[in-house]
Amino acid sequence: MEYKKLILPAALFALLIILLVLFFASQGKEKTPEVTSDETMETGISGEKEVETKKMVLFFISEEDNLLRKEEREIVLGSTLEHQIECLVEELLLGSEQGLISPLPLETKIRGIYITRNRIAYIDFSSEFQTSHPSGSSAEISSIFSVVNSITYNFKSIEKVFILINGTEQETLAGHIDLRKPFLPRYDLIMD
Amino acid sequence: MKKYILKIFIILIFIQGFLFSQEEVFIRVSVKDYPSFSRVFIESSQPLSLDTEKSGSYIMVRARADNPFRINKSPFQSTRIKSVEWLKGSDYCIFTIKTFDESFQYQHSISQDSSLVLIDLGSSFEESAENNNDLAAPDSSSGSNNPTNISGQEELKTIVIDPGHGGLETGAEGRYGTKEKTITLEIALKLKKIIERNLPYRVQLTREEDVDVSLERRAAIANNYKAFVFISIHANGSYRRTARGSETFFLSLNATDEEVRRLAYMENNSTELEGIQSEEEDDLKLILWDMAQSSFIRQSSILAEKIQTKLNTLSGTLNRGVKQAPFKVLTGVACPAVLVETAFLSNPDEEKNLSKDEFQNRIATAIYLGLAEFLEDYTLQ
Repeated sequence: MEYKKLILPAALFALLIILLVLFFASQGKEKTPEVTSDETMETGISGEKEVETKKMVLFFISEEDNLLRKEEREIVLGSTLEHQIECLVEELLLGSEQGLISPLPLETKIRGIYITRNRIAYIDFSSEFQTSHPSGSSAEISSIFSVVNSITYNFKSIEKVFILINGTEQETLAGHIDLRKPFLPRYDLIMD
Repeated sequence: MKKYILKIFIILIFIQGFLFSQEEVFIRVSVKDYPSFSRVFIESSQPLSLDTEKSGSYIMVRARADNPFRINKSPFQSTRIKSVEWLKGSDYCIFTIKTFDESFQYQHSISQDSSLVLIDLGSSFEESAENNNDLAAPDSSSGSNNPTNISGQEELKTIVIDPGHGGLETGAEGRYGTKEKTITLEIALKLKKIIERNLPYRVQLTREEDVDVSLERRAAIANNYKAFVFISIHANGSYRRTARGSETFFLSLNATDEEVRRLAYMENNSTELEGIQSEEEDDLKLILWDMAQSSFIRQSSILAEKIQTKLNTLSGTLNRGVKQAPFKVLTGVACPAVLVETAFLSNPDEEKNLSKDEFQNRIATAIYLGLAEFLEDYTLQ
């Protein structure tokens, strides 16, 4: 019975805390644009600001059927869309937490990301993506579409993904799949 | 009693009607040797339309009628003709006359009512042509008094087979060192033999030895030979050793709905292209060339289904099904085109299989059977 008496003050207290948190959070957000406009370098180094993260869905490859499987991840959000995509692809490089296959050979590096006005994201990989890739149609298809699907699934403003190697267009990734055109996502390759 | 007779009468009429509706074309094939030439007789119960062509040591005879064929061959012995075989479709039939020697000439004549065809072949025909006509007379019992010569010399259609990779480009490699480029060539050569033995088509390989051939060149070879069908042979590879099975691919356009609509518009309104400036036209041609496969996607998918079904029943490998992907080698090919991933070189068991003649033959036979089934429908269109 005594517990019931406590419920009302406890609820009020909780509400007060939530309001306070919201107040400070909104103030913090208002401040960030000012900071980035003139003191980006400083905040970057001190890193005192709390990092914003977002739950994103990555697609890794299952060896069984070469289809793609979802894996959720909290990913630190960069300031620009390019940076956010880079963080996402870095996460693919780190590999799966469930023992699924990463679409990218470990040594691969991201050389750059560009977004064009017609909603195409260009991703420039180092040559290891090509040279260390296991040759074979199935491996190529699942590699490409786990990258493409991961990007388009999380960033709806991107319609297609164009894969570059070492800054240039390639005919194919490893002898099969055409890299001269941007890829639309292929959600039919995902196994839920 | 009268009732019974009446019943039997009605039944007889019924049976007759039934037989009549079947209306098969009965054909009798026979061969006779003469001192200077050999003659193949094709006697038919109904008028035939047909054409013939020579290809190496073969003569192909294509016959068409409105009904299915029933064929009967009398046994024969000939010094010039090795065998006469045929392949039947629902309303056509292709005879293959095999000879012992490539260096022969032939001529074919057909009776006025188109029910008897004579194909004469000998070493030097021009000189003895007159002589042959004399000989033709007594044999043309069914009324070929005035044999009309049809020299329907339509060229044989070509099927292009593409053994994947080659030269420096080895493709996938197995644990025991088996290279994709070697396997694909071995299977392609076997497939070429089987097709040429059984179908009236010429087979052209994009490479016949271990050399580099660019992907664009492979498509160009297909288009230069006006390929009727294009089949690319590959062996698969994956990240780990467990992946296994066969799959057949056809091209996915990788275009948005909007782009597909624009392309369809360009194809349907090609006359409008004539007014376009030459520079623009070149660009457009380039785009169209790049998209050559787009108007064959549906046929390609049917071909892929047929081949995959046969692979599934014949090869004993896991069926991974028919899939679509943007394969570079298929994009520029202007005919039905598929890419067959026979089995996984990255799987040690399948690698062993792939290097065996017996397994390669089974794969080649499966592809051939799928192709033959596809051609039966496709050639009729």
